Amino acid sequence: MNYFKKILSINNKKDIPSNVKPEKAREIHLNTLTFEALKEEITKTFGSTADLQSDIFRFGKSEGCIYYLETVVNTEMLKEMLGSTLQNSDEEISVNTVEDLHRLSKKSFGVSGYKLIDCVKDMVTSILEGRIVIVFRGVSQALSLSYINSEGRSVTEPTTQTVVRGPKDSFVEDVSTNINLVRKRIKNQNLRFEKYEIGNETRTSVYMGYMNGIVNEKILEETRIRLKDINISAIFESANVEELIVDKSLTVFPLALNTERPDAVATYMLEGKIAIIIDGSPFVLVVPAVLTDFFTSPEDNYQNYFMSSFVRLIRYISFMIGLIMPSAYVGVLTFHPELLPTTLLLSVIAQREDVPFPAVVEVLLMEITFEILREAGVRMPRAVGQTVSIVGALVIGQAAAEAGIISNIMVIIVAITAIANFVFPNYAFANASRLIRFVLIIVASILGLYGVLLVLVFMVAHLSSLRSFGVPYLAPVAPFIIEDQKDVFIRAPIWSMNKRPSYLSPNISQKQKAQGSPSPPKVEGEGKKK
Amino acid sequence: MKKIGVILSILFCLCFLTGCWDRKELSDIKIVSGMAIDKGENGKYKVTVEALNAVELNTQTAGGNAPTLVESIEGDTVSEISHLFNEYMAQILVFSHMKVLVISEEVASRGMLDFIDYLERNIEMRDDFNIIIAKGDKAEDILKVTTHFRKASSLKISPQLDHFLEDWGGDPGVEINDFISELPMEGKEPVLATVKLKGDVEAGKSMDNISKVTPDTLVEIDSLGVFKDKKLIGFLPLVDARNYLWIQNKLKRTSMSLECKKGNYSAVRLTTSQTNIAAKWKKGKPVFHIKINAEGYIEGTQCYRNVQNVGTIKKYEKLIDKTFSKEIEDTVKKVQREYGSDIFGFGEVMRRQHYDTFTKVKDHWNEVFTEAEVKVDINFVVRRSGIRSKSFFTETEQ
Repeated sequence: MNYFKKILSINNKKDIPSNVKPEKAREIHLNTLTFEALKEEITKTFGSTADLQSDIFRFGKSEGCIYYLETVVNTEMLKEMLGSTLQNSDEEISVNTVEDLHRLSKKSFGVSGYKLIDCVKDMVTSILEGRIVIVFRGVSQALSLSYINSEGRSVTEPTTQTVVRGPKDSFVEDVSTNINLVRKRIKNQNLRFEKYEIGNETRTSVYMGYMNGIVNEKILEETRIRLKDINISAIFESANVEELIVDKSLTVFPLALNTERPDAVATYMLEGKIAIIIDGSPFVLVVPAVLTDFFTSPEDNYQNYFMSSFVRLIRYISFMIGLIMPSAYVGVLTFHPELLPTTLLLSVIAQREDVPFPAVVEVLLMEITFEILREAGVRMPRAVGQTVSIVGALVIGQAAAEAGIISNIMVIIVAITAIANFVFPNYAFANASRLIRFVLIIVASILGLYGVLLVLVFMVAHLSSLRSFGVPYLAPVAPFIIEDQKDVFIRAPIWSMNKRPSYLSPNISQKQKAQGSPSPPKVEGEGKKK
Repeated sequence: MKKIGVILSILFCLCFLTGCWDRKELSDIKIVSGMAIDKGENGKYKVTVEALNAVELNTQTAGGNAPTLVESIEGDTVSEISHLFNEYMAQILVFSHMKVLVISEEVASRGMLDFIDYLERNIEMRDDFNIIIAKGDKAEDILKVTTHFRKASSLKISPQLDHFLEDWGGDPGVEINDFISELPMEGKEPVLATVKLKGDVEAGKSMDNISKVTPDTLVEIDSLGVFKDKKLIGFLPLVDARNYLWIQNKLKRTSMSLECKKGNYSAVRLTTSQTNIAAKWKKGKPVFHIKINAEGYIEGTQCYRNVQNVGTIKKYEKLIDKTFSKEIEDTVKKVQREYGSDIFGFGEVMRRQHYDTFTKVKDHWNEVFTEAEVKVDINFVVRRSGIRSKSFFTETEQ
């Protein structure tokens, strides 16, 4: 460790010439600087950046200076504002004191969210945030106005969590649009968002959203502390925040949910969970997350509950298939041929007659090929997508079997494993099972099904040791909570789910009054018949 | 860090110190589906195994060659012989898929059944394969016959026995674990299904055998082998095998013909049956009252009575009761007279119901059994008459 540190520190000294140092905004009060000195200070802080504008203008009798970054400010709106407010103003007006500035702000910008600042550091922050800052000569406060150019991707359909029936909007990179999408769904004064700035260099806005009064105070406080404690230079994606705030554990399982669906976020918040929205990322984090959350899709609530329950069962089954199918193949074929029905075993033996490799090599070969294909499919440029699918079908398909490298049954195993892995509503969880699958294959080749079982026992032990913001990861299955079972393996009718999940210990656990589904209206007179 | 290191090194040791001891690649194994035990000339036993040729048994890869490889080796223990087969074969034999064990009549009647201990003790073999006796022929010949169904002899015999039991009741349904538990049991003697070859064994070995609609050689289920004192002492015909199952309450379904008019018969299909045996002592003799409650339907009639009448149905029911209680009684009497071996397990019933009295006679139970009085009472209910109420002959008859 020390050795590496040494190397790094030496390199650092060599790389940065001593005369250039990163600029820092100084905490100087505005009344200590003259109009010109302030302008010099700001230009010096920003250095040689090309997009900083600092223009001096006349406003009535007084002189002012406007600072902004032209690349982040909406110049159209700015021009309009300058035109209407400043130039059409009375020739006699003057802004010489702080009171004048206050009066002007109230009169002209009262509704547009102005901010008065009196420190150079705050000025720099405002400019960086995309606001414009106006300073009048002789006034010890500056006026900061929001003209952020909020151009970005418009709201589109989700790309990773699609539904057949249900809302088709998804989060975008812009944080205020995202909050808007949630607010539109929950019109409630108890929906609160707390703002944090994370990233020493990037100063990314991170919003923590929760339902006041529903969310458990302890979990909320814990999340607050963890967000505040983040000390990192840059944040670009919610995944960065996720890694910094989840409970410290060596695990492949995701301990925070991420979703790009506003309806999912709203549902989770109303259950008592906390959403963390990061500027610049269309994926919103939801904490605390438990294992069973990864098996539920927002669409479960939008379709018939029998169907939803069935689909959930399918998800759990496919999780197991994706996890153990290849290793079970290896284990059964090399250690326990007695487990197969005779006819199937004979057919497998006949098929494997010409395969030159042991079963484990065959499986690893195919699984790695599939992982390569999959990675290629994600990373490659869209234009060459066709090529990969055609070549891929050859590599893990009939052609490979005909070439005598693998048996026909192996093609089926790889295919069913791959498909089972795509069933998950949440991509992060599918990745976890991908990794464990390889461990299982190798162990199965050494210890057979006994080894598979051994790894699964270890996996369950590991899962039950995990916590997400203090909530046991396997809740409500272990610890088993009977009243939470309505929304775990089955999805009960929505009118019967009157309580919020109790493993989150929400402040108010009752969602709504207990009720039943409506019955057909009684025909008049029918009840009176005897 | 230290903890992880320890765990990793344990896992490492686990892999390389213990691993792979029973690992067998599929290409290195040959599946045995049947085993036959004959009396050896140079050793105590002559063991024959039927090893499957997987490529020929798969329809896609089959090339028309022999589906099985049947070879025999002589020796003193079945255990040792079963590991000697690499004398003839390339791969290691795997016995876990064994379906049938054939014992020759000679071995069974000499009571040379000690090798069963090995079969039960063996880690690989299941305890649910069929065990049968080859009547007359050498046991090994039974495995040497090619068959239409799945080509290999034992792959055909096993479902043949099961389906015969299920559909008519000709097979006693004895698997190796039943046989082992019945062999030393007080008050019950075991039985085994008996098969024999129809035709010549040399013709049966060839694939030509299954190119014919009526193969030259077939394995047929012949009778029921009766044991006494761990030795095979004789055979009972198939009808008695069914009655045996009926008394055992193991009969699932059967079809029965009964004479409804002189020279004319009706067929009845039995669908459910429940047998209860009550044991009593009467004047120092055991009395067994077999009560059978059964249901079924009329499958065919040559008597053209209108089965829409309740009276006709009642007549049928009475006729069934009379005919078959007599038949069952006859079977029991035959066994008492000819073999004196309690294959029905009456002694077991007696042991459960009159333990004290049974313990007094258990040493010579088979003699007591020969004097037992057996009364059969069938209560048969005809539920349906197929999908036709009146026979089309009924009209013309009237």
